[in-house]
Amino acid sequence: MASLHITRVKREFREVVSSEEAQKSQIKIEIIDESDLTKLKGTVIGPPDTPFEGGTYILDIRIPDTYPFNPPKVKFVTKIWHPNISSVTGAICLDILKDQWAAAMTLRTVLLSIQALLQAAEPDDPQDAVVAKQYKGDPELYRKTAKHWAQTYAGAPKTTDDAEISAKIDTLLQMGITETKAREALSTHSWNLEAAVDSLFT
Amino acid sequence: MSTGLKVKIKSWNGVGFWKWMTNDTDCGICRLPFDGCCPDCRIPGDDCPIVSGQCRHQFHMHCILKWLQTQQMKQQCPMCRRDWQFSD
Repeated sequence: MASLHITRVKREFREVVSSEEAQKSQIKIEIIDESDLTKLKGTVIGPPDTPFEGGTYILDIRIPDTYPFNPPKVKFVTKIWHPNISSVTGAICLDILKDQWAAAMTLRTVLLSIQALLQAAEPDDPQDAVVAKQYKGDPELYRKTAKHWAQTYAGAPKTTDDAEISAKIDTLLQMGITETKAREALSTHSWNLEAAVDSLFT
Repeated sequence: MSTGLKVKIKSWNGVGFWKWMTNDTDCGICRLPFDGCCPDCRIPGDDCPIVSGQCRHQFHMHCILKWLQTQQMKQQCPMCRRDWQFSD
């Protein structure tokens, strides 16, 4: 007989597939390998009225042997600029994935909580200190950066003209920096080209 | 005069039916039906009972005990986070 964590994942899988949110294609769970149900692929759509609107965010979900007595391990695969998600590793700072987990929670409620986190960031409990500082210090620049990342990495519809941003990235590309690194350095240094160059070459 | 038919019962089979008295159909921890048993047991019944908390949430006894064992700091109901107390 399959162990508890596998039996439960199977039942939950049906629950997510038939859920109202899945019908509206807001969340999704996919099996990567039928023979290994401990590794799943989650998808969350960026909620409206946020810089992530319309973006498709892929999540890596790992089910521990002790599930549901311990939470699933979830991280972002799609790069994102958000105070509670590492812009480098995709690690998520969310209480229910840590000490506030409860055995009655499910993969569906986890995905909905992550979607809610995109709607309401908690800059006082940051996972990415650089993003959190920008969020609090210069909200307009934060929105612009987060939107640019959503359009670049999550396929969010292009609604803003990023000509200035693109020109700065191009300058760094010509210096032999990779695009990802260039975008990270510029975002970290408030799109100040000089400061970004300094950080990359010292 | 009575012509009553005489019936002699040679043998009989009793059939019983039982069901847990629950508020819900499935255990919130293992998500298996209460009328079955928890994932560690094979035969439903008294050996795999259903218990209630004072918050009225119900679980397989084996499931809630396992959950409480993983909680070092505070013992809360996995449904409502109220302090878990077994109901009498």
